[in-house]
Amino acid sequence: MSSVGPGTVSLEREPGPAARHAVPKRRGKGPRRPSGLPWIFPAFAFVVGLVYYCVAYTGYISTLNWDGVSPTPQQVGLANYTTLFHDPVFWDAIRHTIYFFIVTFCVQTALGFTFAAILHSRVKLPNLYKVIIFVPVVIAPATMAPIFRQVFSATGQFNSVLQDIGLGSLAHPWLAQSSTALPVIMAITIWNFTGVTFILYFAAITQIDSEMLEAARIDGANAFHLLTRIVWPNVRGTTIALAMLSVIGALKTFDVPYLVTIGGPNYATEFLGTFIYRISIPQAQVGYGAAISIMLLIFALAGALAFAVRGTRRS
Amino acid sequence: MFLTRRLSSKVILQVILTIMVVPYLFPLVAMVQESLSGQGWGNYQAVWAVGVVPEFFRNSAIIAGGVIIIVYCLTMLAAYGFSKLHIRGREIYFWMMLTALTLPEVVLLTPLFSTAIKLGLYNTYFSVMLPLAALQIPFCVLLTRNFVNGIPDELFDAARVDGASVTRIFWHVILPLTRPIAAAIIIFTLIGAWNDYLLPLVFLQSPTSETITLLPSYFVSQFSDDQTKVAAATVITAIPEIVAYLCLQRFFERGLTAGALK
Repeated sequence: MSSVGPGTVSLEREPGPAARHAVPKRRGKGPRRPSGLPWIFPAFAFVVGLVYYCVAYTGYISTLNWDGVSPTPQQVGLANYTTLFHDPVFWDAIRHTIYFFIVTFCVQTALGFTFAAILHSRVKLPNLYKVIIFVPVVIAPATMAPIFRQVFSATGQFNSVLQDIGLGSLAHPWLAQSSTALPVIMAITIWNFTGVTFILYFAAITQIDSEMLEAARIDGANAFHLLTRIVWPNVRGTTIALAMLSVIGALKTFDVPYLVTIGGPNYATEFLGTFIYRISIPQAQVGYGAAISIMLLIFALAGALAFAVRGTRRS
Repeated sequence: MFLTRRLSSKVILQVILTIMVVPYLFPLVAMVQESLSGQGWGNYQAVWAVGVVPEFFRNSAIIAGGVIIIVYCLTMLAAYGFSKLHIRGREIYFWMMLTALTLPEVVLLTPLFSTAIKLGLYNTYFSVMLPLAALQIPFCVLLTRNFVNGIPDELFDAARVDGASVTRIFWHVILPLTRPIAAAIIIFTLIGAWNDYLLPLVFLQSPTSETITLLPSYFVSQFSDDQTKVAAATVITAIPEIVAYLCLQRFFERGLTAGALK
């Protein structure tokens, strides 16, 4: 990193002569800061180069009818997009993504917040509970997938538990039925991610001014009022951050539906990620896959932008 | 939060909490139970006897290590530049990088695939390491930049007046002072790289290069319908992750909360 403009550096060595160099229109205090461009260049070139190159390339591929290997791809203009808008699986995938986001976000938020509030009370063995809630976060969803397939199968542990607690009539092959496959995918994601929600709320609650809580308590607020009127509004920033993470997470969903249900049965758990993968790799319709990718990208950017605009308006 | 003084309400709270964590424990218990049914410990012996487990671990370790090195180096340099040095149009560069934050990796699949084949990187660690690092860096730069912003400017001005070069300031001020956030970044990147599934699935095609997230599928094809052995393979894969978390619990939690707190 010695490439950092030697001229600039040597100027800073002697404060005296440096004054002659001080550009008047820059802020008056302190010596002029050296250029940061060489410092951000490696990361910037790497990230922007790779990502923007890939996105541009995807955009180009999306106008082709191509299997990914043939040397003579065929230009089809926007035909892939027309096909896409008439593809019911695409709209299914979007619907699933929206349901998935709403359900996982609400349940995770409720559970994470409740766990955080309870563990901020004086309970025994708090660390044991913390570990149990957080361990699913560190285990790869891909690692746990075969276990979940087994647990929710017709002869799986989930059905035996239902029978043991007298709900045997509910037992059925959860993953083989369209109506229950998607909820199971959501449940697995919630299992996987509540630890993050919990840890973030736990940390956010720690930062709330304890005098404020004490004052409310002296004024006679009960635990429920304390939570809904003081704690919940004060962790709003965390909730917004989690909502954003959940939107991005929902759009990125791939591992769990791909490994547990392969998007099935009958596309009941198809998400944009699994859809793109199935079209691009096993079916080798690379051009069509790229068109879906571009749509996914647009959704992701729109989602992020919506949150960014909301965030800046609030602050 | 709930300042319970009466014993009865204390017990109720504890019971509610215990009931609530049962579903989190359940899949893990089911996993261990399953892995020990049938041939008992024999399942583990059978899985180990296949001999590929250490190889998969080594591959994951190499990839995670490589990603961490790339992410750490580039993030530290960029965070210093963005936070404390002069860049015209700084926010434009910053936001150009940040848009990559929302990017699902599946979008990159086809271009990466054909590029990797052209460059001869297909089925090498690099084909997984480079995209993973590129997708991790934006968030890490965001975190670290915020952290470095919190270090007072006067410290840097003083160091410069004392004759320290920009490079020396980087080595002797930035690197030591950013250690807490560096730990967070390393853990965060480790979880992301170690648990990634899609990129290894597409780019790594032989057991000599595949990562542990591909291990369950490998054993599903190896032992076809024998769920107990697949479960044993899952336990073997999960244990190091759980042990690493238990040993570094504080860093894991700090790593995840670093972004949300000031």
